Amino acid sequence: MFDLLAAAPALPLDEAGKYVAGAFIVFMVLLVVYVAIMAAKLQRIERELRELASFAESRASSEKAAPGRESETPSISDSLASHGSRGGGAV
Amino acid sequence: MTPSRAAFAAILAKDLRSELRTLQSLPAMALFSVTTFVIFRFGLDRTQLSGSLAAGVLWATLLFAAVLGINRLFVAEREEGGFDAIRLAPIDRSVLFAAKAAALVIYLLALELVAVPIFALFFLQDLGGLVPLVLILLLADLGLAVTGTLISSMAVNSRARDLLVPLVLLPLVVPLMIAATGATEPLLALGGPGYERFGTWLIVLGLYDLIFGLVGYAVFDFLLED
Amino acid sequence: MYGKGLRPLSIATVAMLAVSLSLVFFYAPLDADQGFIQKIFYLHVPLAIVALIGFVVGGVFAIAHLRTGNRKWDAYSYVSIHMSVIFGVAVLITGAIWAKASWGHWWVWDEPTLVSFLIVFLMYATYYPFRYAIEDPERQARYASVFAITAGAFVPLNFMAVRMAQSLVHPRTFATANGGLPGEMMLVFLCSLATMALLWVTLVKFELTAKSASGQVKRLRRALDAPAPGGSSRIAPEVS
Repeated sequence: MFDLLAAAPALPLDEAGKYVAGAFIVFMVLLVVYVAIMAAKLQRIERELRELASFAESRASSEKAAPGRESETPSISDSLASHGSRGGGAV
Repeated sequence: MTPSRAAFAAILAKDLRSELRTLQSLPAMALFSVTTFVIFRFGLDRTQLSGSLAAGVLWATLLFAAVLGINRLFVAEREEGGFDAIRLAPIDRSVLFAAKAAALVIYLLALELVAVPIFALFFLQDLGGLVPLVLILLLADLGLAVTGTLISSMAVNSRARDLLVPLVLLPLVVPLMIAATGATEPLLALGGPGYERFGTWLIVLGLYDLIFGLVGYAVFDFLLED
Repeated sequence: MYGKGLRPLSIATVAMLAVSLSLVFFYAPLDADQGFIQKIFYLHVPLAIVALIGFVVGGVFAIAHLRTGNRKWDAYSYVSIHMSVIFGVAVLITGAIWAKASWGHWWVWDEPTLVSFLIVFLMYATYYPFRYAIEDPERQARYASVFAITAGAFVPLNFMAVRMAQSLVHPRTFATANGGLPGEMMLVFLCSLATMALLWVTLVKFELTAKSASGQVKRLRRALDAPAPGGSSRIAPEVS
């Protein structure tokens, strides 16, 4: 088989390499672009949830008629706490 | 006569009568074809066509003229409550699909009755290929009618009605066009009609008609649900 | 719960990706005719096969939607087609690169599979304007299912017609595709195929999870009677 290789007139390796690299780069770029788009969606979901959470809290507090509610503690610590209590996750 | 067959005949007759009376689509399609031929004459800068160019010009023109008619196929139904009528009737709703497709076949044949002779007049030297062409026209019309009816019935209920039919229908009929032009090209060849792969292309056309006829008939019910 | 199982799937996908890439560049033998260029085959062809199967799967989900009336099947159908269209973009670009490397042109009409794929891609690209032109969500879902089924039937017909249209003078060019692959190349090809299939499934699940999350947010919003956000007026398929 290797004598066949010697006779083959394919593109020289440095040129061929560029095309192959190009193809794989296109694949990676598309994948990363997709991830970026999904990240934007995730951001929007986070923003809406944040709005809804503060809306719900303000409604709950106005029902309780508790005045002067302080600004919310960052809810990211909430999510960390619930992660810890949930344990191993889905693996 | 079973209720379905009676309904089929009634809808078909109504459509044909309405078209004959108002003459909306047919003259437009015919006129459009002839004008398009003239545009091709100047666009390609040729006065004689043969082989693949002839087949291409003929079929592209017929296709675009067909789209004009297909756009209007269900407009009356939508505006005058034809969809509701068929929903209420105790028959298989796919009858509407069959009747509309049959009407469209007839419109296309009428169109070709005008457009093909004029095409021959404008561009062809040898008329020998025209008789077998009829067979191709018939099969292709059936395929166009079936897919056109399906797409048109959905497009009529959408926002971008006139855009959707050409947009969605054109890729869908590519295999049809490939087969039709593939069979027509040797028929219109310079030295006289040839029949290479004529049978094969006819089989492809027939297969296309069968598959999309069945698909259309099967799904049409779901299109009419309210 | 759409997110369940997403983590093991992603891990499996990454692992397979690493294995396949290694096999492609360190194990697969060099092709006699095309040399190093042939390596693109391990990327381009699995992407194409998975995309096409994805379209068919979208059609199958559409059938399920029409038969059961459950809108979740429509969402599955939409996401399947969506993912296959994205894979399709990758197929066409890598195909063009392969064409340029093999014959010096970015596009060639000689390769029937690539041309067929272009037509299929164009067909499914019309899915979006078609879908979003229909305002009523339930009707939109039904019509989209009809489209997916029709387009699914169209795929094999189209491949057949384009192949037949090939002038008998031009030889089949990418004859490597599946015929006559030596054992080692076949192994690498199958590995790549499995990787792309896994990738497709993972991304579809990912997308469905995101849609589900959006759906839950809307549900929460409705339950709280909160005012709606500025958002897009486009009526998109939902998962709840």
